[in-house]
Amino acid sequence: MSAGVLSVHAKPNRAATLILSWALFACGIALYFYVSHARHRDNPEDRVMPTIEQMARGMYSAALHPAEDDEVQTETGNFWQDFPHSMLWKDTKASSRRFLYSMLLLIPAVLLGLHMGLFPYVGVFFLRFILFFDKIVALSLLPILFIAFGIDELSKIMLIVIGVAPTVILDTFNLTRGVPPEQIVKAFTLGAGDFDVAYRVVLKQILPRVLNSIRLNLKAVMLFLFAGEMIASTDGLAYRIALLRRHMGMDVIVPYVLWVALLLFVVDWGMRFANRKLHPWFHE
Amino acid sequence: MAGPRQMVCYTHLFGLVAIPVYAARPRTTMRKLLAFFALFSVSAFAGQPAFTVGWSIYAGWTPYFYMNKSGLLKKWADKYGITIKVQRFDYAPSLDAFVARNIEAVTMTNMEALDMPAASGVPTTAILIGDYSNGNDALLVRNGLQMKDLAGKKMLLVQKTVSEYLFDRAMTIEGLRSQLKQVRMINTSDSDIAIAFLSDTSTSAVVTWKPMVSQISKQKGITSLFNSSRIPGEILDLTVVRTDVLNRPDGSGRKFAQALAGAWYEMMAMMTGPGADKVLAAIAEGSEDTLASYKEQLGTTKMFYTPQSAAAFAASPDIKQKMALVRQFCFDHGLLGENTKSVDDVAIRYPDGAIQGKADRVRFAFDLAFMQMAAEGKL
Repeated sequence: MSAGVLSVHAKPNRAATLILSWALFACGIALYFYVSHARHRDNPEDRVMPTIEQMARGMYSAALHPAEDDEVQTETGNFWQDFPHSMLWKDTKASSRRFLYSMLLLIPAVLLGLHMGLFPYVGVFFLRFILFFDKIVALSLLPILFIAFGIDELSKIMLIVIGVAPTVILDTFNLTRGVPPEQIVKAFTLGAGDFDVAYRVVLKQILPRVLNSIRLNLKAVMLFLFAGEMIASTDGLAYRIALLRRHMGMDVIVPYVLWVALLLFVVDWGMRFANRKLHPWFHE
Repeated sequence: MAGPRQMVCYTHLFGLVAIPVYAARPRTTMRKLLAFFALFSVSAFAGQPAFTVGWSIYAGWTPYFYMNKSGLLKKWADKYGITIKVQRFDYAPSLDAFVARNIEAVTMTNMEALDMPAASGVPTTAILIGDYSNGNDALLVRNGLQMKDLAGKKMLLVQKTVSEYLFDRAMTIEGLRSQLKQVRMINTSDSDIAIAFLSDTSTSAVVTWKPMVSQISKQKGITSLFNSSRIPGEILDLTVVRTDVLNRPDGSGRKFAQALAGAWYEMMAMMTGPGADKVLAAIAEGSEDTLASYKEQLGTTKMFYTPQSAAAFAASPDIKQKMALVRQFCFDHGLLGENTKSVDDVAIRYPDGAIQGKADRVRFAFDLAFMQMAAEGKL
């Protein structure tokens, strides 16, 4: 049986894997600079597609110049002294804090889903409402969020939680329901109590899948975070992008977008790593 | 972000062959592409140069809605043998489309004309001065605060726009410039700013424009500390055309500007002449507004209803001083770009030929010709 290159049985060797997996990156980058170069030849002051030099300069000042509102207004030339005063660091810190809080608030969501799946009365009480709430477009609730939580941090975090929590709750609920009932019966016959079953039998085995589901939702978390920061804010990565957009600061926006992608990738990778370390028995 | 131009690139992605052509001669390809699209549109476009003017919702710009709907613009376009399309945008995307050279003309303020197209190397010419904000933009506070109380307080505004400019000027005029940095500005999207300010009582002040100003000041306990009638003529609302379009060798760009000017001043005459209410109501419809509300907005907009008044304003020496304030503000706030080292790098040319900034870097110009032609009835 001959295995053609495009057949199901094809086995790409190391070199092919390496080249092919980076090919689209190379294409994207080449296309960008090709068009950017052409635009700059046509109009040397073009800001829509900055050249690599412009982006490097933009990023340099974002990462090393003191932010506009910082009390320190001089550069020392030392990266470790300058960076903590820079706009990039402050924005990253502000956005990360919001991100972290909303991730922490997803823990109760997981527990709620677990309880809904195991305890019939809890399930009856919440399920219909959360199924309905899951379909509400969180962004459209913004005026209500402003009234209820003000325009500070709380409303931004709540926007994320309201947007993402129902999905996480429902997913945990379904995973809980998916645990074979025989196991639960067995645990009871071995003398386990309700909460032993919930936390030591069910939660333990669904946790890796729950973590994967949260990983899939990272992008939604980020989307809501960005929406919140763009609507009303004094700092944050999306705040900066929204401001720079007003005068086409693409030379900073493009590196910022890549920076956000990198951060998100690191978080995702970290969660995957933790998942593997915590649950070495889990294979999907 | 220049969505439309990037879209063009994507379109090319599907027709892979087109990429090298595009990269080598972008503008020719753009034209080819436009021609290509024109094939699909009605045959009426065939042979006639076509232009697009973009507008966004604002008291002084909504007339474009009526000019298009009533056939007024078509009448003038036919007279000059061209085709004019009208497209409504949100404000920011309209600027993006203009900078990306997807549309030929657009409505914008003098400040944005400087910091968007002019600073991005797209030379721009103002052909019509429609009005200036005469109270449309305002600084509102709650609990009877005074200007001097604002240090350390939270203030909502859309940062880096005329709102911040207005606040900057207000503090300067009141002699409180040293406190400017102590006010805690919160960048808030204009679509949510009214509700955000009204629902969160921990915010003390807001700078925004109409109709949001009208909604907010209706509430109890809100007072207005400063509005744009204190800085008349500094926030100008213009119709601008790309300078390269205006200078097209076949003269079609000038015809386009002439047709726009002709239609615009016929529209202005209708807005003040007999039966004006009916016209104004139809214009208000363009922004889902009512006649009463639209009239209220016009009350704080100094419209130049006649070409004579607009031309006289454009020719006055005042405009140079005012533009000097605006361009300094843009430069101080980095709105002219990270790479602009001097305020003179984005130069402005005035109708009398005077240039503010470096003579070889004129990026923004006021052109009186079309308003004058309208005034002399030569259109």
